[in-house]
Amino acid sequence: MSDLPVFVIEREFDAPRELVWKTWTEAEHLAHWYGPGVETIIHELSVKPGGVWLNEMKMSERSGYSKSEYTEVSSPERLVMLMSNTDADWNLASNPMMPDWPATLLTVVTFEDLGGRTKMRLEWSPHEASAAEIACFAGAVENLGKGWGAGMELLAQLLADLQT
Amino acid sequence: MNIGIASQPSVNLDVVFAALADPTRRAILAQLSAGEASVNEIASPFEMSQPAVSKHLKVLERAGLVTRAVDQQRRPARLNAAPMKDAVAWLEEFREFWAGSFDQLDGLLADLQSPNKKEPGDE
Repeated sequence: MSDLPVFVIEREFDAPRELVWKTWTEAEHLAHWYGPGVETIIHELSVKPGGVWLNEMKMSERSGYSKSEYTEVSSPERLVMLMSNTDADWNLASNPMMPDWPATLLTVVTFEDLGGRTKMRLEWSPHEASAAEIACFAGAVENLGKGWGAGMELLAQLLADLQT
Repeated sequence: MNIGIASQPSVNLDVVFAALADPTRRAILAQLSAGEASVNEIASPFEMSQPAVSKHLKVLERAGLVTRAVDQQRRPARLNAAPMKDAVAWLEEFREFWAGSFDQLDGLLADLQSPNKKEPGDE
């Protein structure tokens, strides 16, 4: 378990923890911020263990669907869910762009009270994934964060140069 | 999660990620960005054997990042940046999905806390 690759993203918000918690657990708020530049439609949101969040993101030509099943709900500090891409009927579906992308990602969101401010931490790791899925995710995470650093900048520069 | 990428990648991105995950292969790519090079020329700055370089080149070739001339004795390797562009674009969109969402969340939280904000039905 501990050697699974984990994608981490953290952000501090200038708002009390209870309010940040609400933005994840009330459909009206969640639809408002989740998915940048797309229309987010929440078909179901039942934030309790065993409950689901059925989400549709409308993009220009098609919609992206995902299903999240909550496994732990500890208000207002910890939310654990299993996130999966689905088809329009909410059946699990692999990502056409990345066939080996993990079908289900264990998603842990924690909310830390900083006295009026809140630190939110989101962790993604493959859930019951095949070796290929884990390798794919590890590659992406490594490339995305720590492992790359200067390498990524070098590549970005390289690509910019090649396109001029 | 589902964060639509405009263009269909030319090769499987997993293969590209695997190829790019190695620092030596990234260095080879950086070297090739200056121009095509033979296995010998690639090997010299790395103090690496030719078979070792050939092995790395094969991985890069499979990922579509490098092409080799077939009809020449020295078979120079040449950088093909297209698949790398797909990989970088995918990673960028991935990161930006959450960053963009959190920007929107920041705005929403500010609105929700604004003293001027009046919910319909207030007063």
